[in-house]
Amino acid sequence: MNVAVLKTKAEQALSEAFSAAAAELPGSADIRKLRLDAIGRFGALGLPHRRVEAWKYTDLRNVLKEVLPAPKKAATLTPADVDAALGPLAAVEAHRVVFVDGRYAPDLSDLVADGEVSVASLATLLDSDTSATELLDASGRDDDAVIALNTAYAADGAVVDITPLASLEKPVLLVFVRASADPVFVAVRNVVRVGEGAVASVIEAHATLPKAAQDFQINTATKVVVGKGARLEHVKCTIETGGGVHLANWLTELGPDAEYNGFHFTAGTGVARNQVGVTFAGDGAKIDLSGAFLAREGEHIDTTLIVDHAVPQCISRELFKGVLEDHARGVFQGKVIVRPDAQKTDGKQMAQVLMLSPDCEFDSKPELEIYADDVVCGHGSTSADLDEDLIFYCRSRGIPEAEARALMIESFIGEAIEKVGHEGLREALEALARRWLRKAEHKERAA
Amino acid sequence: MLEIKDLHVKLADEDREILKGLTLSIPKGEVHAIMGPNGSGKSTLAYVLAGRDGYEVTSGDILWNGESILEMEPEERAAKGVFLAFQYPMEIPGVAGLTFLRTAVNAVRKARGEPEMSTPEFLKYVKEKAARLKIDMDMLKRPVNVGFSGGEKKRAEILQMEALEPTLCVLDETDSGLDIDALRVVSDGVNAMRSPDRAMLVITHYQRLLDHIVPDRVHVMVDGKIRKSGDASLAKELEKSGYAEYQAKAA
Ligand SMILES: Nc1ncnc2c1ncn2[C@@H]1O[C@H](COP(=O)(O)OP(=O)(O)OP(=O)(O)O)[C@@H](O)[C@H]1O
Ligand SMILES: [Mg+2]
Repeated sequence: MNVAVLKTKAEQALSEAFSAAAAELPGSADIRKLRLDAIGRFGALGLPHRRVEAWKYTDLRNVLKEVLPAPKKAATLTPADVDAALGPLAAVEAHRVVFVDGRYAPDLSDLVADGEVSVASLATLLDSDTSATELLDASGRDDDAVIALNTAYAADGAVVDITPLASLEKPVLLVFVRASADPVFVAVRNVVRVGEGAVASVIEAHATLPKAAQDFQINTATKVVVGKGARLEHVKCTIETGGGVHLANWLTELGPDAEYNGFHFTAGTGVARNQVGVTFAGDGAKIDLSGAFLAREGEHIDTTLIVDHAVPQCISRELFKGVLEDHARGVFQGKVIVRPDAQKTDGKQMAQVLMLSPDCEFDSKPELEIYADDVVCGHGSTSADLDEDLIFYCRSRGIPEAEARALMIESFIGEAIEKVGHEGLREALEALARRWLRKAEHKERAA
Repeated sequence: MLEIKDLHVKLADEDREILKGLTLSIPKGEVHAIMGPNGSGKSTLAYVLAGRDGYEVTSGDILWNGESILEMEPEERAAKGVFLAFQYPMEIPGVAGLTFLRTAVNAVRKARGEPEMSTPEFLKYVKEKAARLKIDMDMLKRPVNVGFSGGEKKRAEILQMEALEPTLCVLDETDSGLDIDALRVVSDGVNAMRSPDRAMLVITHYQRLLDHIVPDRVHVMVDGKIRKSGDASLAKELEKSGYAEYQAKAA
């Protein structure tokens, strides 16, 4: 085989920049070795492109032409800045832990370590604990170039530990604020470990300060381990404004009888890919993955799920709803693998998109790989326009057309947002959707 | 005053005329009823008044308070006081009834140059009306009309009408699907809205409604045209004789 594969400029830059960056990255010799292996894997894999089946609709080689530098110095923000970036999410009462341009900002964070939950900075742990290699572990996903890059470059992130049997009253809100006025490349790695029988909510919010650069590259990965019988609601809210690239991975592992309720809200990002990989490590676990994505102009939002049923009697539900305007593009890939041992698996998947312009595009690719015989699995995908009869009904009650349309879209999205269990968060997400629909962000951006 | 003058309406994407030269005037303060066989064009008239797409007015005019409304958008007509209680009220999944109603009330108030209502003000406003119509507030927290029975939907339409304070009320078969008690409740609601500056058009198949809401005039509509007009006693006559006589004439 010919190994002399031609590398793109960005691939070369990512590989070459590593040795210089490595000196600055946290971690002991073991960790440095782990990172070196990862960048080696990335070098072999290269950036995924459209001839790689899983990246058919999101050609990263084409999207990432240049590599942006790491942030120089973290900006100093006030809590008010963070609130402004969060918008409606700021109202959610939570243990707040803030990262600015990927770096832990202790001054802006509530230090959490109350016996039920502890949150620490990944960088601190990597530097202080020689046995911390498992924090960067992504085994089983060695074939993913984006995850390999994350492992190599991750400079910081949150390590959230929830004590067995704890029942958190407030969610843990991890805030990732983009502040740098220069375009930067940021890699974040989080770890969320939910002890046996515990109940918790963890929210990741990716938001932007008004003065931050329009261009950016974010690579974030969150490793989640939900213990036996534990329940986790995990929500990621991506409201990065600007034309950058946001690549995200969730690597979730569920213990026996665990319940995992995952939700993605994504609006206003140049190119975003949210990839969720779920593996079942014990019988009887349940997952509900859902989300809402809103894209306009040339934005591109990709949701890729890989749900791997390896053990019997697990239930998975997926509902994703999207709104596409202008020439925006939505991608939904839902891969469900049911291994031979995974008898009595019950899986259902649905992706629905409102296409509000003749120029938008939606690519939906459900993939069922079923190797067991006693299973119930189904999937569906619809794209539609708004119901004009309902719009007339609203207008006949005096509601102006634009408002009527927004109301209809809101109700469409609302069906997905309803899946979020935390009431305050649900309201915040509804408000974010409303803000997007009323084009408030649109105008801000233009101003 | 509502003045409909020699109105011809066809389906927008079909060469089929539904209203064939309809003329009708309703002065303010009066309630008129239209009766007529299935398919004669009653709902079409109601929709054309409200400004629904899909119909084309080929000639004639509709004046409301001396002003033609043909070129107005549905929401503009609503702001000018036009309200249609639908024969088949629509379900809007995902939009809570109260949210819908508050959005509508405030949109109309804004368009009429009145101050918008705050949430507590609005809730108080709706609560009173809902209680009179025997509508449970919990029902209004549910998505608009979703899972409502036929009669509940009709009552919800009347609640919307009361909340929007229209001056031209068009009720398309609001009585069908109502039980005897609900018919009384709804009729009381409609009667309470009768006022010197409000005109009402009640479309119905049954004389029974007109015992409760006694009309000033009754019109018989057959094949897209008013064939006969009279006072309230005309409805009683129709109950006995049916439409055969008019259909023969129209044919
Ligand atoms: N959008 C439409 N598309 C096709 N046909 C239509 C449409 N609207 C009305 N029609 C036709 O026009 C005629 C009149 O209908 P309309 O609903 O106005 O009757 P109606 O008098 O209200 O009848 P009913 O008493 O049954 O409610 C019918 O033949 C109907 O099928
Ligand atoms: Mg009708």
